[in-house]
Amino acid sequence: MSITLRALAAFGLAFACATAGAQSVLRIGMTAADIPATTSQPDSGFEGNRFTGITLFDGLTQWDLSSADKPSVIVPGLATEWAADAKDRTKWIFKLRKGAKFHDGSDVNADAIVFNFEKVLKKDAPHYDARLVAQTTPRMPTVTGARKIDDYTVEVQTSEPDSFVPINLSNLFIASPTAWAKTKSWAEFAKAPVGSGPWKFVRLVPRERLEMEKYAGYWDAKRVPKTDRVVLIPMPDSSTRVNALLSGQVDWIEAAPGDSIAQLKSRGMQITSNPYPHTWPWQFSFVPEHPTADVRVRQAMNLAIDRDAIVALLGGFAAPAKGAVPPGHPWWGNPKFDIKYDPAAARKLLAEAGYGPGKPVKVKVQISQSGSGQMLPLPMNELIQQQMKAVGIEIEFDVLVWEALFNNWRIGAKDPKSNGAHAINVSFATQDPFFAFARFYDSRMVSPRSVNWGWIQDPEFDKLVAASRSSFEAKERDAALGRLHARAVEQAAFLFVVHDTGPRALSPKVQGFVQAKNWFQDLTPISMK
Amino acid sequence: MIVYILRRLFYVVPIALAVSAVCFALVYLGPVDPLKAVLPADASLELIEKLKVDYGFDKPVPVQFAKWVWRAAHGDLGLSLATGRPVREEIARAISNTFVLAFFACSFGFSLGIAFGFVAGYFNGTWIDRVVTGFAVTGVSVPHYWLGMVMVILFSVILNWLPAMGMGAGGSADWAWDWEHIRFVILPAITLSVIPTAILARTVRALVADILTREFVSALIAKGMNDRDVFRHVVKNAAPTALAVMGIQLGYLLGGSILVETVFSWPGTGFLLSVAIFQRDLPLLQGTILFLALFFVFLNLLVDVIQPFLDPRIRRT
Amino acid sequence: MSSSLSSTLVSAAPSARGYWTSVAVKLTRDKVALVCGSIIAALILMAIFAPWIAPEDPLKSSILNRLKPIGTPGHLLGTDELGRDMLSRLIFGARLSLLMGITPVLCALAIGSLLGVVAGFVGGPTNTAIMRTIDVFYAFPSVLLAVAISGALGAGIVNAIVSLTIVFIPPIARVAESVTTQVRGLDYVEAARASGAGSLTIIRVHILGNVMGPVFVYATGLLSVCMILAAGLSFLGLGTKPPLPEWGLMLNTLRTAIFQNPWVAALPGFMIFLVSFCCNLMADGLRSAMDVHR
Repeated sequence: MSITLRALAAFGLAFACATAGAQSVLRIGMTAADIPATTSQPDSGFEGNRFTGITLFDGLTQWDLSSADKPSVIVPGLATEWAADAKDRTKWIFKLRKGAKFHDGSDVNADAIVFNFEKVLKKDAPHYDARLVAQTTPRMPTVTGARKIDDYTVEVQTSEPDSFVPINLSNLFIASPTAWAKTKSWAEFAKAPVGSGPWKFVRLVPRERLEMEKYAGYWDAKRVPKTDRVVLIPMPDSSTRVNALLSGQVDWIEAAPGDSIAQLKSRGMQITSNPYPHTWPWQFSFVPEHPTADVRVRQAMNLAIDRDAIVALLGGFAAPAKGAVPPGHPWWGNPKFDIKYDPAAARKLLAEAGYGPGKPVKVKVQISQSGSGQMLPLPMNELIQQQMKAVGIEIEFDVLVWEALFNNWRIGAKDPKSNGAHAINVSFATQDPFFAFARFYDSRMVSPRSVNWGWIQDPEFDKLVAASRSSFEAKERDAALGRLHARAVEQAAFLFVVHDTGPRALSPKVQGFVQAKNWFQDLTPISMK
Repeated sequence: MIVYILRRLFYVVPIALAVSAVCFALVYLGPVDPLKAVLPADASLELIEKLKVDYGFDKPVPVQFAKWVWRAAHGDLGLSLATGRPVREEIARAISNTFVLAFFACSFGFSLGIAFGFVAGYFNGTWIDRVVTGFAVTGVSVPHYWLGMVMVILFSVILNWLPAMGMGAGGSADWAWDWEHIRFVILPAITLSVIPTAILARTVRALVADILTREFVSALIAKGMNDRDVFRHVVKNAAPTALAVMGIQLGYLLGGSILVETVFSWPGTGFLLSVAIFQRDLPLLQGTILFLALFFVFLNLLVDVIQPFLDPRIRRT
Repeated sequence: MSSSLSSTLVSAAPSARGYWTSVAVKLTRDKVALVCGSIIAALILMAIFAPWIAPEDPLKSSILNRLKPIGTPGHLLGTDELGRDMLSRLIFGARLSLLMGITPVLCALAIGSLLGVVAGFVGGPTNTAIMRTIDVFYAFPSVLLAVAISGALGAGIVNAIVSLTIVFIPPIARVAESVTTQVRGLDYVEAARASGAGSLTIIRVHILGNVMGPVFVYATGLLSVCMILAAGLSFLGLGTKPPLPEWGLMLNTLRTAIFQNPWVAALPGFMIFLVSFCCNLMADGLRSAMDVHR
């Protein structure tokens, strides 16, 4: 054989050997600036849950992430069934799945579950940790504790009847008590976390990468991962993420910036997007002296904006909003006020409210320059400002840094630090009912308890929130939430603008990804070509 | 001189304390909560107040500062708020990564800088001199973070010759001194080396030109000294100042470059600092700044001490 | 640094007017410095007369016209990510960029020289107090200090200028102090003191003349650093707030535009480079003109 042929043969042989033993690896570029906490209660918001929550761990309940078309709902996780005690609605009985094991071989049983409740609820427990509390308790505001009934049954206690509990508990991830007991420190646990999820921890290089491999012994055979290994890499800078994908350093990037989509597509990358429970609104103030306290003004503002133009600004990666959730969602509720672009109707409503060409409505809005989930706040807000001007509404912006905006969200519209703002632009998740509704419309949820920023004090809203909280049967609860949502839309409690569609860019090697209508995504069905 | 050195050393501790106090003040002056690093977006004010107590942030600021100083004096720089890991570990890791980058940037920068400077100084006044000087001035005038971005686009995205970011396929923990890993440091090192190259080129050029025009050199050449010996002579005379400049530049690079490390996601001290600043991660920020400040205090002292030996006209009392 | 400074020191009683005249004469003969000086002057004029020169309103955005390439009719240098005319934004951007690049250096020049001269002249405990305080800030590398102070004060032009001024005071003060100390010990100054001249007179006649030269040259060299640093702050989100036009901020907001229209994204960087480059060459020319050894 000639030298070239021999060389080729040798190369081919080496290549074959290499690939035969090679593992399939999925490398993901996240927007987080650091690896989300691996303590079992991730930080970095829902991106944390997405990558170091549902991967390494399970909760009692979980979201069904298998469909791209149907809304994502809560399904059994480590618990197979649950119900609130008919006589005392503050007690729930959760029946646990048998045969689920942690990555270290220990059983997932009632003791393990109770341990995990105590880590955020029982102050004197050695495994109680303030850092875990910070990440978890806002998401399960009424849960007070848990106790073991028998090896596979747990009772969960709440401070008041709250039908949202099973949904909230999807945020409580179950860590292995055996693993924690080795060092009795969550900081040490985080260096080698042990859960029961479909992915097993391999290696953590702080601030740089997290490697996980598939857990063949996962309790749900359908969700044993098809890829051998996943690597997570923090890349907070959007151009760095795009460059990394284009140069082949990663296979998947979160939040691909709109301007790079054309380039990415031309280089053969797959762009996936799907509306998910995210909404980008202005939250109105109901403080009596403010112009936004008048429902006609709020409705007019909703009719004044051309949402299609905003979607175009975002390169098509948004969906126009008709409420906090889209039509067809279990909580839609069929509101009688149709949110659409109708400047004539807007002007009519404003005239009824006493405004007109000589007397414009002056509204002050607090916005941020950037921030997770805020999409492109400045261009979007400026476009809205232009559109509102056309119907006689003058918008003035109070531009803050993201963290400051968040602080203001917590303190409420009446606080002097809010600078007399009549609306605030904070995007949020509508995945669970407390997040989507209760914390805004319940009159008790004003500062400092939660973010009823606009000081809504409406007995009708309170009744609807209470009704949804106390409807323990799933269909009933969804119907009650629907009625709550309908009132929110009819009262135009928010300026509903768009839903984000979460564009991700994947290399052509990534197969089998199903982008669910959810903040979380399932990495297990993915295979690498 | 000894007295001078001792006196300067005496001031290190108060300077370190002052630096830490300034740092503490900077974080508290800011409009953002010091607990921001730990808090999820949806935490309520109630929860924040509760956590403040848990973390000790409810105590008056001077008390917090005193506690921190006491622990720092014993080598305990505390735990990072955002990650819960010891600050010392984070700094140690970041420094070793920055060292790798600084090493390559300096090797590259110094060799090029000296070469250019020598050539320009030797051909002082000719077009070669002008071209080299032009390059050198360009080097210090270009915003290097922008240059880094452009290089990534060109070499990484378009040509796909070199990686766009990071410290290697396995991250910094896997660092090895082989091609597989070194190719990750090439772009950031070149970006960082531009300034030291330029500064060194100008310095060496000025030195070489100056030495060559001195009368005693012309005399030596007239006496028949050959080129090689003249060369050695120039080197001997230029070396001390050049070395001082190189030392300073190396020092600056070891401090880490926030901007370049951000563009390339290089996990060094600059990147660590920028993360700490933006996250208001007070323990991490304090610890890192204290460490870097001490480093630079000693570096400045070293430079101030060495300079009189290089240029006797400078006297330090 | 000091070794090149000493070559600009005058070791005999200077005839002040004669010296500065010779500096001016040498400068006018230096073609490179002249060209650079004119470019800077032109840019400053452009900044001042921006509203009359710029073809469009730099704040007028048009979502349909995003990221148009260079040479589009009506938008000579293209448009940015919000459809605003690049040429106009670059022209108006000169205002804020030059302001943030020059003001901190001027302020630091004034404050730093004052501190340095006082420290150098008075000596003793005052010197120690001033110089050691300055050392505290000198201990921080400039980028770090600028980012830290701006991070604490928050974004904004005034905050950025304040933070940059603080960053540049220490090096200028050190230079001023070093020169003052050397001059104070010279023979003719001793002679002046012996003949009964008051402190202020000595400072005015002998010290300032010697100090201002090196300090001024050093400060001119700092101009380019300040421009780049100011742009760097905006790049990190700590300087100018959007939607104001400023070159560093434009570099930041145009980063993702690099994928669609790389040349438009490169323009602000080029402007920063141009000003820096000219400042550096001017500083060089100034240094040569003031060097008495040549």
